[in-house]
Amino acid sequence: MPQKTYTITNMECPNCAMILESIEDKLPGIREIRASYKKGQVTVEFDEKLVSEAEILVAIKKKGYITAP
Amino acid sequence: MLEQYLLAFITGLTTGGLSCLAVQGGLLASSLASQIERDLLNAPPAPLKKGKRPVRPARPNSALPILLFLAAKLAAYTLLGLLLGWLGSFLTFDPITRAGLMIVIALFMVGNGLRMLNVHPFFRNFVIEPPRFITRAIRRTAKETDTATPLFLGALTVFIPCGVTQAMMAAALGLGDPLNAALLMFAFTLGTSPVFFVVAYFTTQLGAALEKYFMRFVAIVILFLGFVTFDNALNLLGAPSVSGLFTAQQAPASPATLPSDNLTLRAENRGYSPARLAAQAGVPVTLNIVTDNTTSCARDFVIPAIKYYALLPVTGTETVQIPPQPAGTTMRFTCSMGMYTGLIEFK
Repeated sequence: MPQKTYTITNMECPNCAMILESIEDKLPGIREIRASYKKGQVTVEFDEKLVSEAEILVAIKKKGYITAP
Repeated sequence: MLEQYLLAFITGLTTGGLSCLAVQGGLLASSLASQIERDLLNAPPAPLKKGKRPVRPARPNSALPILLFLAAKLAAYTLLGLLLGWLGSFLTFDPITRAGLMIVIALFMVGNGLRMLNVHPFFRNFVIEPPRFITRAIRRTAKETDTATPLFLGALTVFIPCGVTQAMMAAALGLGDPLNAALLMFAFTLGTSPVFFVVAYFTTQLGAALEKYFMRFVAIVILFLGFVTFDNALNLLGAPSVSGLFTAQQAPASPATLPSDNLTLRAENRGYSPARLAAQAGVPVTLNIVTDNTTSCARDFVIPAIKYYALLPVTGTETVQIPPQPAGTTMRFTCSMGMYTGLIEFK
């Protein structure tokens, strides 16, 4: 399964990591999301057949987070 | 002892509540948000009366989950206090170790304050991130909105203590007595509850912009507390400190007081009196510390320079023999928390 790591520019507290990880409950096709407030990063492991990278980025944006280009 | 619990309660009421809210508030808010959402969905449409503004549906349920959350939190932290006191009974903290512990806590608090102000990503290292299985359990539970959920979530906050709570936990550990430590944590957590309740109740009304200012305010309070803790640690080490300087200025030695080899110091609930003593240089000095119904931490008396440490009786007199000191020596004394200070000047 492909794995992608994104840098999040506006994580302001450890709760943000929990909010980002909650995407795995909502988006089918995501195997696991590991978010780290310390690193300011989120790593997503997903099934390409079920979910696209664009959909993941939209979900992150919907939660109010900005990914670095 | 009662004063100690009162102090813990006030710490909770003032700064503990705010800093805990900064760490755990999001969790409560997210569980409340879904509760409120459900209430609104289930609520009957607001009755429209002629000529009157529509009445907004009441939210009778929003107070209950907060209360359940806080009750569980209180129980969990009291149990934690019991455990810490029990663990602490195996350890002994001399003033130097305690000062070291306080410096670590102070650095932790300052680091957290700077992190909350987003000064540099480096300060994110000061955060203790709970293990993933715990955050996952918290997240999954937060979605459900039955009675057990706020209870469970409240108990889980024990895994995400804020800076001030961690400082209080260290103090509980230092007490070395399960019952006293449990009572200390109970008093502190009870103190945090009103702030938690009020802010959590209105949290849905708190806009993002306001929340940002609120967090900054909390960060500054934590920074301030960090510096106070550091200053107290300096007192405990007998090093010059800001509060020590303040005490000395507040209590100038009376010119009429001649340096003596027999000094009397009163250890009162609010500190030491006089806070500045004049002693004779070059001769052994006897210091009589008098307590009269003293129950505050002023009872834990420390003179770092001569490595003297004693728990004074509630009422009575304790005598300390100070070896001869050269003229011009300033010897500091303090309570074991570094809160109350004073000095002896050898002339």
